Amino acid sequence: METVNYGIDLGTTNSLIAKFENGRVTIFKNPIGQKETLASVVAFRKDRILVGDKAREYIAKDPTNVFGSFKRKMGTDSQYYVVNMDENVTPITLSSYVLKELKTFLRNGEKPQAAVITIPASFDTMQSNATQKAGIEAGFKNVFLLQEPIAASLAYFNHAAQQDKSGYWLVYDLGGGTFDVALIRIEDTDMQIVDHEGNNFLGGVDFDTAIVEEILIPEIVQKTGLENLKEEISSSGTHEKLYYILLHKAEEAKKDLSYQESTEIEFTLDLAKGDSEDIVLTITRERFNQIISEKINLTIQMVQQILERNSLSSSQIQQIILVGGSTYIPYVRERLVDSLAITVNTDADPTSAIAEGAAYYAGNKYYQPVAEEDTELSELTIDSLLDDFSENTTNIDLDIQLSYMKATQEEEEMLLVKVQGNTDGYQYRLIRDDGGFDTGFMPLKTKFTEFLPLIAHVQNLFTFRVYTATGEELAGLMQKLAIAQGQYVIQGQPLPKDICIEVDDKENNTTKLELIFERNSLLPQKKTLYREVSRTIKAGSDERLIINILEGDRFVRPVSCLVIACIEISGKDISSDLLKGSDIEVSLMIDESRQIHCSVYTVMTEQEFKHVFSVSEKQVSVPRLKDQFMELEQELRSALKMMSFSDENQWQTACEQLLDELESHKKDLLKLKENDKSDKKFIIAEAVQRIAGSFDKLGGAERLTQMQTEYFEARDFVEQHLPSVYFEKENLTNKFKKIVQSEEQILRTRNASILTNAITRLNKLGWEVLYNDLGYLIGRYGEFKSWDPSRYTNYTAVEKLFQLADKALENEQYNTFRQNVYSITHLTKGSTEFKPKNEDFKGTGIG
Amino acid sequence: MNNDTKLLNQLFELKSKIDQENLSDKFERNFQRLFALLEEEGLFFKDPIGELYNDARTDVEVSIVGKESSQMRITKVIKPIIYKKEGGNALLLQKGVVIIEKA
Repeated sequence: METVNYGIDLGTTNSLIAKFENGRVTIFKNPIGQKETLASVVAFRKDRILVGDKAREYIAKDPTNVFGSFKRKMGTDSQYYVVNMDENVTPITLSSYVLKELKTFLRNGEKPQAAVITIPASFDTMQSNATQKAGIEAGFKNVFLLQEPIAASLAYFNHAAQQDKSGYWLVYDLGGGTFDVALIRIEDTDMQIVDHEGNNFLGGVDFDTAIVEEILIPEIVQKTGLENLKEEISSSGTHEKLYYILLHKAEEAKKDLSYQESTEIEFTLDLAKGDSEDIVLTITRERFNQIISEKINLTIQMVQQILERNSLSSSQIQQIILVGGSTYIPYVRERLVDSLAITVNTDADPTSAIAEGAAYYAGNKYYQPVAEEDTELSELTIDSLLDDFSENTTNIDLDIQLSYMKATQEEEEMLLVKVQGNTDGYQYRLIRDDGGFDTGFMPLKTKFTEFLPLIAHVQNLFTFRVYTATGEELAGLMQKLAIAQGQYVIQGQPLPKDICIEVDDKENNTTKLELIFERNSLLPQKKTLYREVSRTIKAGSDERLIINILEGDRFVRPVSCLVIACIEISGKDISSDLLKGSDIEVSLMIDESRQIHCSVYTVMTEQEFKHVFSVSEKQVSVPRLKDQFMELEQELRSALKMMSFSDENQWQTACEQLLDELESHKKDLLKLKENDKSDKKFIIAEAVQRIAGSFDKLGGAERLTQMQTEYFEARDFVEQHLPSVYFEKENLTNKFKKIVQSEEQILRTRNASILTNAITRLNKLGWEVLYNDLGYLIGRYGEFKSWDPSRYTNYTAVEKLFQLADKALENEQYNTFRQNVYSITHLTKGSTEFKPKNEDFKGTGIG
Repeated sequence: MNNDTKLLNQLFELKSKIDQENLSDKFERNFQRLFALLEEEGLFFKDPIGELYNDARTDVEVSIVGKESSQMRITKVIKPIIYKKEGGNALLLQKGVVIIEKA
């Protein structure tokens, strides 16, 4: 025996499917549009069958092929004639289409053999049997029925804390198009429907129509004088378009009014002779309540009739449980409380309560799974056995080949499907995974095409599935397709290296690279970057913004990369001051011939600077070159200092040679004018790049291994000390995560400058971690106090700080204490921990 | 409806009004900037106005004006189609709400 677990709310307007698992209920969402509800509508289009919301769209325009509300006809001999098929379908078949579609919501790979399906309290035996048959037609081997009010109560009881539930309960179900109320009696474990009432033509849709007809149209007539509007506006009148717009706006307004006192509806009214008028109308909750009050009264009357018929007073009713989307309306709840004086219970989700209750019931319902050899050979099971037989044999015989372009610049792409084997009675369905495209069930043929619409600039994923005539999926034939739109050009050439922009890293008085186009992206590429000016450029001054576009590895220092485009905007070029923080837009396009089209727009001065660069032209900005030169010089010097502490004499000698070579260009560099026309700046730039590259390679694999060890040591240090951080823990943890998230790439590149960069960042973070660890700070402070005064730059100030720090520590003012220790650190001789690297740093001016 | 969707709906309405008043050129850069900022968060919308419609288009909810025909075109967009890019793929956050008419 197995538990059923699956519960289905097969509604007149909408249907849902849910599953009980591990004590909880999951409501499945439609892969098309991610809604929990499926419209109970079936459309027999010329070439396909649509089920759900898409089918409902045709209900007014194609009534001979599109059917809804067929639940009302269950158990009758009514048949629907489908013009497109030239045949009749029964309400049972239509319901089975809805059930089959609900099964496609399941994404857990399960093919349930059994389900609990809910039915209205009013269903007689014929109607109940018809529902059961629909379930069997949809492929369930066992179908259990449950009355909707009972299901709703179960959903509520599973949320309720109340222990004793004995007595009478009311379930008030006001949905999109129907209303039902049921009286339930609970005694011990027995739950029974005593009485019920309903109206199949009363629900939320009527409220939307009332908003349009009773509020919006009179207001429009008053504003525009279009007197015949009321007669002409309908789903078939001359103002049909406006009618649909208003209906949509009315539905939105209705939802807004559930949580606010008034809302506005705004739309454009097209008038004669091409004129138009913008109309804004306010709807208050009070007005909305007025127009629906008559309909709500009808529902309350039905509740009162039930109470009267059963000789019950309000006080004998435990609670009234609300179900159905329209019970979200506050007025409905207020009226029920005022008129009936019964506690209103809104604990269960009104939309999914019935499906949820059905799933709870299914979680405790057992069935015997059907083993084919044990099956009793009734007519029905013989059919299903034959189906299974043909499914299994054909499954092996069908061979499906899909042909399509994997990458395209087109907005749609053709899929060619070739099928080998007997396709009779089989259907296919193709869905784009975001739910924006769905062919519906289509007959499988030996050869056919589908045009697949594509979303721009993303990988479009599609799933192709094959089904039997009864809607059972042949899982082995499922295929996934991925088509990249706009990302690749078939004959485009890939970028050999990352393309980056150099931006200021003010925190470290240096510059850093920011990726624009990734290595291996196929040309052409286009992007606009939005940045801020990082320092004020005065109009008429020699200050300048430098837009440096570089080719190289995004993780290395800018100096190691090749400048492929450079635009300098000097103070003399701008019409007014460009203030720090003002916006700057840099648009960059690299065409297929690798020409770079760069345009810079300064929002504050509203100026545009354009240039087209060829990669064969070298671009050098003299101010940037000077900065880079100084940075490299400093880096080499500090590396030499570190090497002097180790035994690596060979590396030290090589590093000295590099420094000497760099220094040999210093004289020329200092003489360089910004408008230099000679080739000196190119010579120096080439030298700087080459020396930086050589420095990266210095020491070969041995140095890299040593650096990797250093990296891990620095990483471990931060990781070990982070838990004991007292101040700014979250901020520091995030910083750490950010650094190590690209660890794999950093280590794989085996590039010295990348590793140096990462180690520097980790070491810096290590210091930050220590200086935010209260224990360390107290220890460090103790050391400072024991130091000789000669180790400070201004001991008088230090003494004062000692007093303040002592006081802060005594009063447990730890933030103040930390600040004092920081200040003392700055007054120590030779402290480099927090000193900026290059006081004259100018940077690019782009933050 | 989450705030991302609401924000894009407002932006779409704003753009539609500006287009209607023939002021698009004046605000083009601002819109580009807004769209770029949203795209950094993976959000973007599609205005399907003028596009052909068929039954397989489940990215829009339609109301049919006039008689149904084999060639239908989107003539009015009440709400745009909203996507969110996640890991190179797109998620449909909101179906477009449109009116279609005979092409």
